[in-house]
Amino acid sequence: MSDQAELLPGTLDLLILKAVSLGKLHGYGVLLRIEQISGGALQIQQGALYPALYRLEHQGLIESDWGVSENNRRAKYYRLTASGRRRLGEETASWNRLADAIARSLAATPQEL
Amino acid sequence: MAERPLWRRWVHVFRRDPKSEVDDELRHHYEQRVADYVARGLDPESAHRAAVERLGDLTRVRNECASLLSGERRIHERRMRLSVSWLDIKLGVRMLVKYPGLSVVSVLGMAVAIAISAGYFAGYGAILDPALPLDDGDRVVGLHPGVSQSGSDSEVSVHDYVAWRDAMSTVRELGAFRSQRRNLITADGRTELIEVAAITASGFRVARVSPALGRPLLEEDERAGAAPVLVIAHEEWQRVFDGDPDILGQTVRLGETVRTVVGVMPEGFRFPVNHRYWVPLVLNAAIAQPSDGPALHVFGRLADGVTLERARAELATIGARMAAAFPATHEHFRPIVLPYAHLYRGYSALEAEPTIRAVRLALSLLLVIVALNVAILVYARTATRTGEIAVRSALGASRRRVVAQLFVEALVLSVAASAIGLTLAGIALRLMTDWIQRGGEMPFWIDLELRPGTILYVALLAIIAAAIVGVLPALKATGKRLQQGLQQFSSRGSAMQLGRTWSALIVLQVAGAVAALPAAILFAEETIWLGIRAPSPAAHGLLQSTLVMHREEIIDAADSTAEPAFRARFADRAAELIRRIEEQPEVAGITFADDFPGRESNATIEVEPDVAPAADTIGQRGPVFVEIRTSRVATNLFDVFRIPILAGRKFGPADTRAGATAIIVSATLAERIAGGASVLGRHIRYAERGENTQAGPWLEVGGVVPDFANDFTLNDDVVPRLFHAAAAGESHPATLIVRMRGGEAAPLATRLRNLAATVDPTLTLEDVETVIGAWQRDQQATGALGLMIVAVMLSVLLLSAAGIYALMSFTVARRRREIGIRSALGAEPHRIIMSVFARAGAQIGAGVLAGITLVAVLWALDGGRLEDEWVLLPGVAALMIIVGLLAALGPARRGLAVQPTEALREE
Repeated sequence: MSDQAELLPGTLDLLILKAVSLGKLHGYGVLLRIEQISGGALQIQQGALYPALYRLEHQGLIESDWGVSENNRRAKYYRLTASGRRRLGEETASWNRLADAIARSLAATPQEL
Repeated sequence: MAERPLWRRWVHVFRRDPKSEVDDELRHHYEQRVADYVARGLDPESAHRAAVERLGDLTRVRNECASLLSGERRIHERRMRLSVSWLDIKLGVRMLVKYPGLSVVSVLGMAVAIAISAGYFAGYGAILDPALPLDDGDRVVGLHPGVSQSGSDSEVSVHDYVAWRDAMSTVRELGAFRSQRRNLITADGRTELIEVAAITASGFRVARVSPALGRPLLEEDERAGAAPVLVIAHEEWQRVFDGDPDILGQTVRLGETVRTVVGVMPEGFRFPVNHRYWVPLVLNAAIAQPSDGPALHVFGRLADGVTLERARAELATIGARMAAAFPATHEHFRPIVLPYAHLYRGYSALEAEPTIRAVRLALSLLLVIVALNVAILVYARTATRTGEIAVRSALGASRRRVVAQLFVEALVLSVAASAIGLTLAGIALRLMTDWIQRGGEMPFWIDLELRPGTILYVALLAIIAAAIVGVLPALKATGKRLQQGLQQFSSRGSAMQLGRTWSALIVLQVAGAVAALPAAILFAEETIWLGIRAPSPAAHGLLQSTLVMHREEIIDAADSTAEPAFRARFADRAAELIRRIEEQPEVAGITFADDFPGRESNATIEVEPDVAPAADTIGQRGPVFVEIRTSRVATNLFDVFRIPILAGRKFGPADTRAGATAIIVSATLAERIAGGASVLGRHIRYAERGENTQAGPWLEVGGVVPDFANDFTLNDDVVPRLFHAAAAGESHPATLIVRMRGGEAAPLATRLRNLAATVDPTLTLEDVETVIGAWQRDQQATGALGLMIVAVMLSVLLLSAAGIYALMSFTVARRRREIGIRSALGAEPHRIIMSVFARAGAQIGAGVLAGITLVAVLWALDGGRLEDEWVLLPGVAALMIIVGLLAALGPARRGLAVQPTEALREE
């Protein structure tokens, strides 16, 4: 089995928000950033990335404008909006609570019952 | 979503098609991926294959993204449309502040026009389309005789009222009333003059209001011989009777009759017009011949399910039947059912209604003219903004968008003007209400306030004005020349032109001003002169009032002794009252006349001196033909008024006898009759002007007095006057004038009224006021009118000047380069100035000429009566030229200041 993890449904949006919260990125950059910050553990389905970006922009959580990339090509850059930042905070807290609960549940031993 | 900088919103609009944008983004992704794979050591071919594989179902991704992107854009555009309207308002306010001169001129000009339109709308709206504040008020109707029978509008004879009441089925509770003035004499002896409604019991059922205390009037009260009763208003109960809880059953004297109070109506009840006292209408059916008896106002309520038209049809049928039955009195009789509030306006008002509505429309057109002027100014300003408009259009703003923005900017102007205009109209209406209420109260349904209808009307005017002011220039500015605008944007010039339309407008406006200003100036001068004139010092301390004796019983026209008996009684009582007033310590003198000097109602009379043949009629213009006013005065009138006798003698007691021929004439009349020679002893006679030119008896001039009437009554014309001597009580009603020894007028007025009631309960002293008070009241009204005319005049001048200024500065801006080149080529400054002035001069000249022509046409139509206007015309023409040239001065100087090098560099 590889050390790559399956992405849970609904977590892609959270990861994109996190990635663009660290600085403005183009689509490909978002992909690389997620792989990078997850230590290569999370592989994003590229077919899912762009619809997710457009959806988040539609919801006003991120915004975009066209610029020039590092290799001098025209690229669309995304960055977090204020409401995106709020949503990221809420989702992160909620995720942490869930992860904590699941971790505690899974660590339970017969002695603790 | 976070606020974005303003420019980003605009940039959004001009983005490409969503699909191609998505393609670009995916292409970038793919290229990056391929580059990555190549960097990791794959050959380009394999890198390409791997990248495509990782992207997955490209068509699905592309479609999904494009659809999300277009959805986002749609929402954004909707949001932007909203936020842009708000932005337009902000821009409009910014423009208002940025061009203060233009804003002040436009706003003030439109404000004056809106104030006049709104005031007229509210004033006449309250009269034309009143709402009766009663339960189901729109079903209360009045029955109008159609033609005047009694000489008084909208009044009906007893006979007709009874006939209608018995025949009408479409109108229920048919009732009638008439107003009477009476002395109210309370138990403690206080006297007050009040307006009483003698009304049928059905009136209370038509109004659908029950008494707060006791009972309303009942049918039994109207029977001959029934105990006299009285119903009073809540306010009078509080004021006159101190809210006495035992008011019911108390008695008060109304004129000769002692009445028992049987009811108190609730607060605010004023039916039928503005009444606070109600007594039963007792009709003597025996005297109800077709045209006899007192005149009544008839009212009722439409029966259930009956329309106004059906009631009209029924009354018309009844009217036709009566016209056939009584051809002598009812031949032209066309009775009509009207909404109740319309009845009171009278038949003449009914006929004048189309005129009033036309005037209202014309006043709205006044705003259109003002708005057109403002449009010229705004057009000139818009011309300086062609660059901005061109850039916005190039960035993708549609013509509609740009026009909408300029419309909203104009709306900001017109809304500001409307706010000022409404405030002015509100103040004017309040002043008018005060003024009307001093002369008596208004009908209870008339409310001269700014009602929602008026505000709606002004809102409509504001939109129309904004459409003219904003849309016209915008359409021109966004027309086909826009392309040039963009090209010239960098050179700061303007491609817009002021076409013939605008020049014609300026010519028209100058013409209008030249034609209208002389008349307005004359009128304003007259009113201002009246407004600052002081009355004669002798007018101080004079108290004037009208002495009336009220007929308690309905006079039977068949009884030939009734009228002489009434006259004799009045003469006796008037003499007694005058004797008693003279005894009062505060009274220095008392006199009387049929009318107060200056307020005589008999207007035009012809005079013929004794050189004429002894014919019975005065038909042709004799050697002396003048319009005069005559009055019959007490022998001591000139003494009480402190008027010196210039020549001859005063009136003596003998001059009041029947057949006495001595008269006193005013200085102007003396001059007209005798030229410079002595008028004393000359004989004259006069006749009422009109068809009946039957000459009166020969009269002999006994004395001459100065033209004093205008020192006591606010009038502008000096009219020749002729005075007869009269005995007390000779004319009914009579004007009594008291000279006070000083002190307050109000307490004395109350005492005089009480005194009149003591002499005879039916004797009333009405409209008691000081001569100075009446003078000031008239002066206020005249002053307000004068102020309005001056305001309109100033706004016409202001707008003309502003229009010419705008035109000139616009021309200079357009000819900047040309002026620069000409001065570079060595043209002399005065030539350049002349060339700038030439256009202004041509337009003003054309306007002045057109104005003079207009006055000449009016003069010809009026048969040469506009002489005063002719005198003023050159002055006004000169004024317009000066205003126009002054307006052109600034732009001309700016033209001269153009540096040749600068102008050329701008190319």
